[in-house]
Parts: sequence; structure tokens; C-alpha cells
Amino acid sequence: MRYLITFAMMLFLFPSTGAAGYKQEFEDEFLTKPWAGVQIEENLCISCHASEKMKPEFREITEAWQASWHAQNRISCENCHGGDPKDAAMSMSRQRGFVGSPQFQKVPEFCGKCHIGILSNFLESGHGKALKAGRKAPQCVTCHGSHNIQRASIDIITEQLCAKCHSYERAKLMKQALFLTEKKIAQLEKSLQELKREGVYPEADEKSLFSTQAEFRTLFHTVDVNLVKDRTGEFTARLDQIDKNIQATYRGLKFSKNFAAFLMLTFGGMGVVIFVMTRTKD
Amino acid sequence: MWTKIRQWIEVRIGLDSLIQTQVADFRIPKNTNILYTLGFLAVIAYATQAFTGIILMVYYVPHPDHAFKSIQDIMTKVPYGWLFREIHTVGGNLMIMIVMLHMLTVFLMGNYKQPRELTWLGGGLLLIITVAFGLSGYLLPWTQLSYWATTVVTSIPTAFPVIGDFVAQILRGGDRVADSTLSRFFALHVSILPPLFLLLTGMHLFFIYRTGISATPFGRRDDEKRPLSAYKRKTHPDGYPYYPVFFQKQMYMTMAYFTIMFFIIAFFPTLYFPEEANLPADPFKTPHDIRPAWYLLAPYQLLKLIPNKFFGVTLQMILVALLLFWPFLDTQKEKNVLKRPVLRGVFLFLLAMWIVLLFWGRT
Repeated sequence: MRYLITFAMMLFLFPSTGAAGYKQEFEDEFLTKPWAGVQIEENLCISCHASEKMKPEFREITEAWQASWHAQNRISCENCHGGDPKDAAMSMSRQRGFVGSPQFQKVPEFCGKCHIGILSNFLESGHGKALKAGRKAPQCVTCHGSHNIQRASIDIITEQLCAKCHSYERAKLMKQALFLTEKKIAQLEKSLQELKREGVYPEADEKSLFSTQAEFRTLFHTVDVNLVKDRTGEFTARLDQIDKNIQATYRGLKFSKNFAAFLMLTFGGMGVVIFVMTRTKD
Repeated sequence: MWTKIRQWIEVRIGLDSLIQTQVADFRIPKNTNILYTLGFLAVIAYATQAFTGIILMVYYVPHPDHAFKSIQDIMTKVPYGWLFREIHTVGGNLMIMIVMLHMLTVFLMGNYKQPRELTWLGGGLLLIITVAFGLSGYLLPWTQLSYWATTVVTSIPTAFPVIGDFVAQILRGGDRVADSTLSRFFALHVSILPPLFLLLTGMHLFFIYRTGISATPFGRRDDEKRPLSAYKRKTHPDGYPYYPVFFQKQMYMTMAYFTIMFFIIAFFPTLYFPEEANLPADPFKTPHDIRPAWYLLAPYQLLKLIPNKFFGVTLQMILVALLLFWPFLDTQKEKNVLKRPVLRGVFLFLLAMWIVLLFWGRT
């Protein structure tokens, strides 16, 4: 019997040793780089712009985008510039919606395809009106950059940036008006991340925080300090509600830990009783 | 009233004599130790999994659009849903540990030897089914961790030429892990594996009953003659009665099992829920660090180390076959592993390798 089993195993193992190097593509992909290759299709815009045949300033675009908040949220070239990243021949075709780079004054509309609320508030602002009138004025890229766009925060508002065109006083007042609410938003984001590490996925609160934050920042683009001050209370109330939900979740987690500890002590106690009974019998 | 019910049952199935012969008069070898209760503990662990699994199934929705949400609802909205899910997850891992430990102790005590080859084979198959339970259940929450770990594991068969891709397709129900994979794994987890498990457990217990309990070789002469010439059930007329002596040991271990389980739930509730286990699956976002569950880490690491993947997978299958058929290969009469230096050395080497690969796989 044992000889039969050993022989069968040897026979089974033999062909694999003889097939060294089989399936090179498997060797290359397996456990090193994702079989995600199946899921993530190649983006021709990136592969072409990152190639050696491009000028350095064009190559920098892909590097900048890869480090951006857009890249982290899978907002890719075609989402802003149009075109077809899967078809080399038609990748920059107008028929596939390719729009290329916008003119300086057209940038708000370009970004506003997605950031709709911000666009309307910006256009109502002094900045927007000046830009529309063809005067020297900032637009989205002036503050946020173009390809290396990072997550927005009030740290963008600096004397260095604003004083390029006007005094910093008004911008400073705006930053102060935003400060407490932004701080609260940052705290809540941290708490939600912490909850995720505790095993809870607070989807509803996360969505609520995201929309509150987006609306609040939309408001900022009017550059109207009084408007921001007037409506801050409304946003604070919404943030307080999220905070309450988070605290309630924490209380729930605390209860579950205490309850599990109670069960642990109960079973542990019963174990001790049984152990003592066993010893007594002996 | 109680006496009447008891009498009613007694005249129909003879319960008293059954208890007398199978519990009170049933004798256990005198030198049994606490490790003999691991088989019983595995049954308790399975029963706990079945109970909590049924509760979870009431609320769980096996669809990619709803699976993650339904699990979150179980954790946050269903009264004590978190408790059932934690017990099921922690219990699943403890169950695999117990079954592994059970096989390890049976191996060390040489209790797989004639006439218990079939008992060992059944136990080995039960271990494979237990791991399959773990693997199929891993995908069900549809998290980043479960999605990508399943992608890793279902990629392994593709190392085989000719049939590899076909096997992977059967497992996934397509080219990649998707809704059809979830349906298949769910069906496997709740309706294919449980009857298989019950069948094998029944056979395992039947073999144990028919061959009798084997005494530990330590500190006692093994009086079972090998090779066998005729069927003889091993009995222990001078042993302890099963009830209450051995039963108390089993109950003691059961309490210890639940104490450890609730200790983990109370103090390390996220032990089996790393950050990726709390994020919904995203087929377009590969996490930096993809690893299968701990019980598959050693084979996974071994596979990474062997350059020829086909050889790597085949080698692992051979090792599994070796484990299953070991009683047929080991025909030495000596049961005591301490008196068999070569086997002891090989065993310690394999154990050390397994531990090294496990920790290596984690890094």
C-alpha cells in the first residue's frame, strides 16, 4: 500500500519539475503585481505622456497627476480633458469629446463641469465677475494648481498667495470665519477614520460630512465673509449631529466590549467551578 | 409529569439502558490527558459556528451591492448582531486552530496507526473542509480584504497547465472575482460544505466508536498488536467512566474555549478585522498589502519562494496527500514519537518551517 501511494505521489510531482519556467506571465504577475491587471485597464494618455518620447514638461504632468487628490479618487485625464484613453488612434479626437487644455478665462467652466456648486458661487464673487469682465483675476488653478491638485483646506489661503493681487486683510477675515468649522470638520474626519479602525464603517455619517464640507466650501467661493458668518450656524448644527452619531457609535462599541468581557468572566468562572469539581472528585 | 414523559420515552427507545451503556459504563483509558478533549471541542466549535451562521444568514444579503451593507447593518443595527458576527469570525479562526491542534496531538501520540487509518483520513478531510469553510466565508463580507485575498487564492490554480485556468474560472464563475464568485462561495459555505462536513463527522465518530479509544503511548505499554489479523474493538475495562470524569474535562475545555473567545472579542475586537476588512470591496483599487488568512499564509509564502509555480502548487498538494495518507505510509510499530528520532526530527523541522513561513508571510 505505502509503495503504491509513494509511487502515485512521485508520478504526480514529476511533470511539474520538468515544466520549469512554465507560464512566464504567471511568474511575472503572480503575487508581485496585481492580477489587478485584469481590472485596471491601461490608460493610453498616461502611458504616452509618461514615455521618453514626450518633452520633460509633458512627462511631469503624469507624475503630478499621480500624486494628486484626483488620482486618489480615480479622476483620470479623460474626465477633465475628454478623449478616449483606450483607443490610441482616437484618444485625442474631438469626436470622442477631447477638449484639450482650456484658455485661462475658461478654466472655471472647465473645472465646473464637476464642481457645479462652486462654479456658480465663484461666478457670483468678485473674483468671478472680474474674470468674466476680462480683468486680471484669479481662477481655480491660481489657488489649487492644475495637475497636482491636493485636497482643499484653508491652508491654501495665505498672505503670499492673496497679496499678489490685493491686501491680505479681507482674506484673513475669511480664514478666521472658516477656521472653527474647518477644524470641526477635520476632527470629525479623524473620528470617522478611527471608527473604521474599530471595525465600523460609518457610511451615512461619512456621506453627510462630505456633503456638509462640500457645501460649506462652496459658500467660501463667494468670498463674502458676512455670508459665511451668517450661515456658519447652520453648518455647525449639521456637524454637531454627525458628532452625536459618532459618540453614540463609540458608546455602542464600549457596551459591546463590556458585554464581551462580562461573558468572558461568566465562562471563565464556570470553568473554574468545573475545575474545582474535578479536583474535588480526584 | 416529568416521570411520565421519561417513562413514555423509555418504553419506546430504552433511553436508560442507552445512557447506562454509552455514558455511565463507557470507559476512557486511565492515562488520557486534556488533549483528548480537542475532538469534542472541535464539535462544540462547529456547533457554535452553525448556530451563529444561521442567525447571520437571516440578515446577510449575498450580492455585491448589498453584502457589505448588510454586514454593517448586522454590526450596528441588528440587536446583538455584532456579538453573533464576532463569535462567528473569532470562532471560525479558533475552530481551525483547534482542528489543527487536534491533528497535531493525534499525530504526536501515534493514534493514527492501525486500525485507525480511516479515522485519521476522515479527520484530515475534515481539516480541509474546515479550511474551505474559512476560505469561502472570508469572501462573504465583500470587503477590500476579502475581495483581494480571494483574488489571490483563486489565482493559485492557474499555475497548473491545461486545466489551471478552467479550475480558476469554475471557482470564480468568470475571469475575475465578481458577483458570480460571491454566489458560488455563499452556496459552498452554507449548503455544500455543511452536509459534507456532517457526513464526514458522522463517519469519523463511527470509526472512533468501532475501533475504540486509543490510549496515549506515554507512560503506558501499547497492547494493541500490529499488523491486525481480526477486528477487535479496543476497550478499557480498568479505565475511568466517561461520566462524570471525562465529561467534566470536556466541559472545562468548553468553558476555556468560550473564555478565550470572549477575551479576544472584549480586548482585541479588531484582531481579525484589519482596516481593509472594514472597507467595501473595490475591484479597481488594489490594496498595498494583500494576504490570505493566517492559516493559508505558510503555503502562500512557500508559493512565493518557489520560482516555478506549477512545482510549488504540486509540492503543496503532495504535502497534503502525505498528511492524509500518512498512516498508510508509516508502518513502524512504535507509537511513541519520543522513541523515533528520525520522525521526531522531521516533524520538528516541518513545524518550525510552518511557523517561520507563517510569520514571514505576515511581513
